[in-house]
Amino acid sequence: MQKVYVTAAAMTKVGRHFNLGFKELAYEVVERVIEESGGEAPDYLIVSSTLAALQCHQLDVSTIVAQALGLSGRRRIPSIRVETGESSGAAAVEIAVAMVRSGMAKKVLVVGFEKMTEYPSAKVNADYSKILDYELEVMRNVTPPNYAAMIMKDYMRRYGVSREDLTSWPVRMHENASRNPLAQLPFKISKDAVLKAQVISEPITLLDSFPLGDGAAALMIAGGDFIPPGSEGVEVLTTCSSTSTPLYLRDELASLPATASLRKVADAVLPSGWRKDAAVQVHDSYSIYGVLALEALGFAEPGQGYRVVEELEYLNPGGGLKARGHPIGATPIYGMCELYALMMEGFAGLSFSGSYGLVHSMSGPDYNSRLIILKR
Amino acid sequence: MPRPEERVGILGWGAYIPRFRVKAEEIARLWGFEPSVTKALWIEEKAVAAPDEDAVTMGWYAAKSAIKRAGIDPSLIGCAFVGTESKPYAVKPSATIIADALNISKVKLSTDMEFACRAGSEGLRLATSLVASGTIKYGLAIGSDTAQANPGDILELTAASGAAAYVVGPSEEAVASFEGMVTYITDTPDFWRRDCSKYPMHGEGFTGEPAYFHHIMTAVKLLMEELGLKPSDFDYAVFHQPNGKFPLKVGKRLGFTKDKILPGIVTPWIGNTYNASALLGLAKVLDSAKPGSRILVAPFGSGAGSDAYSIVVKDRIEEKRGLAPKVEDMLRRKKYIDYATYAKSRHMILRNV
Repeated sequence: MQKVYVTAAAMTKVGRHFNLGFKELAYEVVERVIEESGGEAPDYLIVSSTLAALQCHQLDVSTIVAQALGLSGRRRIPSIRVETGESSGAAAVEIAVAMVRSGMAKKVLVVGFEKMTEYPSAKVNADYSKILDYELEVMRNVTPPNYAAMIMKDYMRRYGVSREDLTSWPVRMHENASRNPLAQLPFKISKDAVLKAQVISEPITLLDSFPLGDGAAALMIAGGDFIPPGSEGVEVLTTCSSTSTPLYLRDELASLPATASLRKVADAVLPSGWRKDAAVQVHDSYSIYGVLALEALGFAEPGQGYRVVEELEYLNPGGGLKARGHPIGATPIYGMCELYALMMEGFAGLSFSGSYGLVHSMSGPDYNSRLIILKR
Repeated sequence: MPRPEERVGILGWGAYIPRFRVKAEEIARLWGFEPSVTKALWIEEKAVAAPDEDAVTMGWYAAKSAIKRAGIDPSLIGCAFVGTESKPYAVKPSATIIADALNISKVKLSTDMEFACRAGSEGLRLATSLVASGTIKYGLAIGSDTAQANPGDILELTAASGAAAYVVGPSEEAVASFEGMVTYITDTPDFWRRDCSKYPMHGEGFTGEPAYFHHIMTAVKLLMEELGLKPSDFDYAVFHQPNGKFPLKVGKRLGFTKDKILPGIVTPWIGNTYNASALLGLAKVLDSAKPGSRILVAPFGSGAGSDAYSIVVKDRIEEKRGLAPKVEDMLRRKKYIDYATYAKSRHMILRNV
């Protein structure tokens, strides 16, 4: 079995790219990744986008991207599109890693994009809600922030945590983003600003949730036998994923069952004490999810996650979904790119002395959850 | 070579603001907006036209004042243009109704213009060009709107009613002369209303940077470049005012100090009167500016385009001010109504009659 490496990575600034369509966004990052790979084309293209069909009116985006980028002509590079809600980008990496490890492909180009500013936010939010069960949840007017609000209320009640305690998450994310030039919201905020911001779904305010922004990110995933020695980059030790039961069938709300099940994999693959030696990206579409993800992955005991937010040095170094932004289909690939940059040369004002990197992603209230474990 | 518009100036100006006001916080309360949103936009209340008022009646009133200040025989006016996006008739000009009601010459050019919030300004440019070319001696340009907004949309906090009108003619007779004017227009779909659609739609954040800010800043910079002027050469700067915040922000970015922008601000107390917005701001400045003052005016219309004018006030202005109601008078003249009365006044309640 091949050892698998991330050998190149590129991302655009997250924001309102009114003048760029999805092809232009993808082109920007793919061009840089191929250039970084010595101009060598991949032998497979995996494209991740969650909302392309609804926001860009485009099916078969992987073929369209391959055509637009000139990968389909003489080279006839095969392509596939991956969509698993908000974790689509991590699913794309999961498949790329499996293909390379098995020998099915030598080098896989993974590109994620999302156009979130094509329509008024009411339509974007309605489309985003379709990550939930359309017949059972969406048709009954349940939205992702509604669920996050229920989970947050249950967490506060169960563990006696105040609304103010949970402002530690967005404050930290904005502080991180203030050092990341590619972040959509690169500025600091106060606890007070979080509490006084517009209520999205009580108790969640605007500053607990992610902004709508466009973006694209790309990675080259390559097998150990196919890259020159010394250019290995960052190794992908393993990927894993899980699904979970719908929220309305869960006995307990204030936890992430799918994410928690992946913790065993990390503990099995990594040496004991790995948490002190790792940089981590967790999915924080809403503040409460960032806190719960830290608990599910063992960085804190249940009910204690909000206390360690300030202590963890390498936590969502780019500012997380909250402040770097959440161009949905690209988000986990941004997480990968940021850790790749951190492990290779430092990122967002941080230099990293540890050995491991974890990229966590999930969809909705942990309906599916994915973990990618990196080592340098 | 002198610019053609230097031969032309403003002879008279007029304004109209309906008496009724609905508070922005009342609208915010009804639709569940955060109370802070009214402060973020700097909108306190908006003017609401009465059930029997429309773009024609308001435009007529403003034009009457402008002609009175100009002190000319209306039969010598050779064009009447009305910029509006709320004309009472889909087909049938508003301009002809107003012109006949004011005894303006029947040998004239007359039309309604549509360019979102800057059609009135385009009318002003065209009237000026007709005078400059010698085609006509005097011209009338009106901006008038009973602006519509989708109930519950953020724009409902600001969409308001009002009118402004200008009589232009030879510079020698003017109370304020044009030094220069430029226009910058692109296809930018930031705000629109499709045929048979009751209310306009907008692109949220897309109405800001790529639309309002890009067009106004480009037009104003172009004007200053052509005239060799800088922000400190102007005594006043008046911008289109979709809310209270945008004109302050765009002015600051262009390098105008706040004290030069504030005198032309009207929107926080009457709302965005669309085609009358910047033109009412100019009227307010003309009500008090000293002779010799230089005024920058930059209307903006979605779709999108911006004009920029440099206007210099002349001595004769002092004797004209008292001839018609001032903007300040109409800002003070107000009666508060609740949301229900506002909805009834603006024909937002559907009923069989």
